Amino acid sequence: MTANTGLKLGVSLHSFTSEYITYKWSLEDMLQLVSVLGGGVEIVGPAHQRGYPYLTDEFERIFKSSIERWGLTPTSYGTYADPFMLKDRDLNEDELVDYMVPQLQSAAQLGFKIARMQYFSYPVIERLLPWAEKLDLKMGYELHVPLMIKSEKTRVLLDQIERIDSPYLGLIPDTGIFARSIPQFRLEATRQAGVSEELLARAVELWNAKTPGEEALPELLRLGLRKQNIGNIEFIWGSFGHSEPEELKDILPRVIHMHAKFFSMKDGVEPDVRFEEVTKVLAENGYDGWMSSEYEGQGGVDTFELVRQQQAMITRFAARYAPK
Amino acid sequence: MPNQQSVTAVRPELPAGVRAILAHTGKSRSFLREEPIRNVTRNGIAGIELGVNLTSYRALPLSCIEGLLLKVDGKEMDVANAHLTLNGVSHKMQDLTGLSGVWWFILDPATLFVPSSSPLPQGSHQVDATLITVEPYVTAGRFSFYHPASRTLAVE
Repeated sequence: MTANTGLKLGVSLHSFTSEYITYKWSLEDMLQLVSVLGGGVEIVGPAHQRGYPYLTDEFERIFKSSIERWGLTPTSYGTYADPFMLKDRDLNEDELVDYMVPQLQSAAQLGFKIARMQYFSYPVIERLLPWAEKLDLKMGYELHVPLMIKSEKTRVLLDQIERIDSPYLGLIPDTGIFARSIPQFRLEATRQAGVSEELLARAVELWNAKTPGEEALPELLRLGLRKQNIGNIEFIWGSFGHSEPEELKDILPRVIHMHAKFFSMKDGVEPDVRFEEVTKVLAENGYDGWMSSEYEGQGGVDTFELVRQQQAMITRFAARYAPK
Repeated sequence: MPNQQSVTAVRPELPAGVRAILAHTGKSRSFLREEPIRNVTRNGIAGIELGVNLTSYRALPLSCIEGLLLKVDGKEMDVANAHLTLNGVSHKMQDLTGLSGVWWFILDPATLFVPSSSPLPQGSHQVDATLITVEPYVTAGRFSFYHPASRTLAVE
C-alpha cells in the first residue's frame, strides 16, 4: 500500500508457483503471506482452484476463510479461454462461452471484482457481458506479450472496448510488455534446453531488433533450431515485449488492473523491465487501482523477498512521481 | 539476488506465522516423481509403473497431453500401450487426446504404467522421461512443450 498515491499493491499467487508445486507452501500458506505483501490477492483459476472451472463449496470456504482471517482483498481472478484444449479443432464460440461462464461465476462468488480475460475471449465477450453485469464483475483483457500496446490484435480489442463502452470491459496491462532486455535466467534456461550459442545469439539479435515471433521462429528453424526447442524460443517471444511506457497513458482510462510482471531484482530494481517509467505514468495520471506483483523468474529462490523488494521499488517510484 | 540464508534468517518485523511459512521446505519436482519403480501386472499384462507429476503451473485437461518419451538405462521403451492412472481412473495414453473433460489438477500425482516384456532387475536404474504437452492458450498458437526429466530410481 502506498501512502502518496491511490495505487494499491497485491500479489498474484502465480508468483509462488515454484513453492506451490513443490508442496513448500499450501494455498493457505500463500494467502497468509499476502497479508504482509500489500493485501490484494489474485489467483489463477486452473492453478489454484481444484474443480476449476466450477466452484466447489469446499474451495469457496477454504478461500474465504483465509480472506477473512488475514483481511485480504480478492482483486483479479485469472480466467482462461483455452481454445486449443481439443486436439482436432479449436473450441467454437458456444464452447468458449460454456467454458468461461463458470469461471466468471467462480470469480464473483469468491469475492473478486475483476476477471482477467485472454485475447481469445474476444469473439464471445458480448455474450459474456450480461454475465459480467449480473455478477458485478469487470472483465479486463490482459495486454500480455505478444500483445503490445500498438499491436494489431490490441487495436482490435481497443476498438471493441470503445464500441461497447461498458464499465464492465477494460484492460489489464502486464508489465512484461515493457521489457528492455531478455532476463539472464531465461537465456540460461534456453541454453540448458540445448539451444546452441550461435542460435541463442541470433535469437537475442532478432529480439533486440523487435522482430515479430512469426518471423523470428522460421528463421531460427532454418538456422537449425530443433523441434523440441521451439517451445523455448516461443517462451522468449511470449514473455518479453517492446511497448513504450508512454503509450500506457493513452489507454489508461480503460485500465482496470495492472499485472506487475517481473523476473528478478538486482540492487533494488528490476533490470529487465521498465518499472520506473511505467510507475511514473501510473502515478502522474492518478491510477488508483490494484497492481498484482507477478513473479515469473526462476524457481528455488527467496520469492517472498523478491516480491517484497519489487513492491518496495514500486512504492518508491510511485512516491517519487506522485503529483505534489 | 538475496542471499539464500535470508530464507531462514530471523526477520523480526514479520509475524511469527509468516516466518514459519517462509521456513518450510518443499520436495524436488519434475515429471518423474521421486518414488521407486515397481514391476507390476495390470490386467494380466506385465510392465513397470512410475509415479509422475503434471509438468505445468496449472491444471490441464488430459487432451493437452500430446505424447511421452521414456528411456530406461539408455534403452527406449515402447509407450504406445502405456496407461496413465489419475485419481483412481486409468486411461490409455492413446486415448488422452480425446479426454478434454478429465482434468489433471496440478497438485495431484499420477501413475504411469508401461508394458514391458521383462521385469526390471533389482537395483538402481537411469530413467529419462519427457512429457509433451500443448498449452491450450498460447497467443501465438498451438505449441508443443517438451518437459524432460531424469532420475535414478530403484526398483521396489
